[in-house]
Amino acid sequence: MSPEGFAHRTMMIPAPRDVAVDRDSIGSIFLSAADGDAAAWKALVEGLAPLVWSVVRAHGLSDADGHEVFQTTWLRLAQHLRRIREPEKVGSWLASTARHECLKVIQASRRVSPVGDPEVFDRAADQWTPEEALIRSEEADARADQVRQLWQAFEQLSEACRRLLRVLMASPRPHYHEVSAALGIPVGGIGPTRQRCLRRLRTLMERGAP
Amino acid sequence: MNGFDDGGDEEDMGLEEALRHAAALFDPVPSDLVQTAVEAYTLRTMDAELAALTFDSLAEPAPVRGGDEPRLATFHALGVTIDVEVTVMGTTGRVLGQVIPARPGEIEVRGRRPATVTVTADAMGRFVCERVPTGPFSLRCRFASVVMVTEWIII
Repeated sequence: MSPEGFAHRTMMIPAPRDVAVDRDSIGSIFLSAADGDAAAWKALVEGLAPLVWSVVRAHGLSDADGHEVFQTTWLRLAQHLRRIREPEKVGSWLASTARHECLKVIQASRRVSPVGDPEVFDRAADQWTPEEALIRSEEADARADQVRQLWQAFEQLSEACRRLLRVLMASPRPHYHEVSAALGIPVGGIGPTRQRCLRRLRTLMERGAP
Repeated sequence: MNGFDDGGDEEDMGLEEALRHAAALFDPVPSDLVQTAVEAYTLRTMDAELAALTFDSLAEPAPVRGGDEPRLATFHALGVTIDVEVTVMGTTGRVLGQVIPARPGEIEVRGRRPATVTVTADAMGRFVCERVPTGPFSLRCRFASVVMVTEWIII
């Protein structure tokens, strides 16, 4: 095959995962998706799904309600592909849409459990994800305990702190304008609140899990 | 200390990173959900006009819960308004609709069900969808002059 032919073929290959989550390229990935590129849409979903999920969780929705909000948020984006004026802010658009759908679900029903559904935590060992299973099976038990203690401490935080930190811990780390859209709070308040909440979390950790 | 890189000191960043790791372990995005989001692309608006949600009683402040009042939602595009009244009982809902100005049409109900269901709007622009599963919901409305899809909502 000629080098030119190879180069052409290479361009047809969908972007690998690590490119998908590169936040600086989100805008161009979005434009490709709007242009009919299904692989770009998939990359967009994989890059921003954790952010949307974290918004759902920050609002403390049950699994069933959370699934509906998540799904509807993406259906909405698919409808608005050609209407979003700032492609690089698609993360904020998704966060804001998810937030509004969460608020409607909360308005419609009061079947809301606090952030950090105990179910998430008390699953039987056979329901652990492969990553969890790995952590549990290896000699890294001490490390797993640390992670669990951290999660327990997180769940003891105030609701305001859990909300903020749950969004901030999306992967990759969200921009502050996305966090602002996710929670309906000003960008300027995020830094100080985050600092206070992390300090509080550290205190809880030092005190030890009950 | 501003914008994206407002991570505070390294210690804070380290703790936040540990939380990110914990969230990936204890509360990851369910993989089947990621798949539904990928599939949403096939339902994107291509050949139809998007009727935007312009009113939703659930988005209105409701200091006093009014009990079992139905939810009202309005969609609008190209001078055509579609009003729906949704009453949910258990896992299904009843949707009463009104097209304004009145006109007949074919209304396809899209959402969580194995097959799409089509109902007819009569000459007065009225239609009824029974036993609509709760969850994502959108209407695809085929009128003589235009095809419209309503923005997705959750019923």
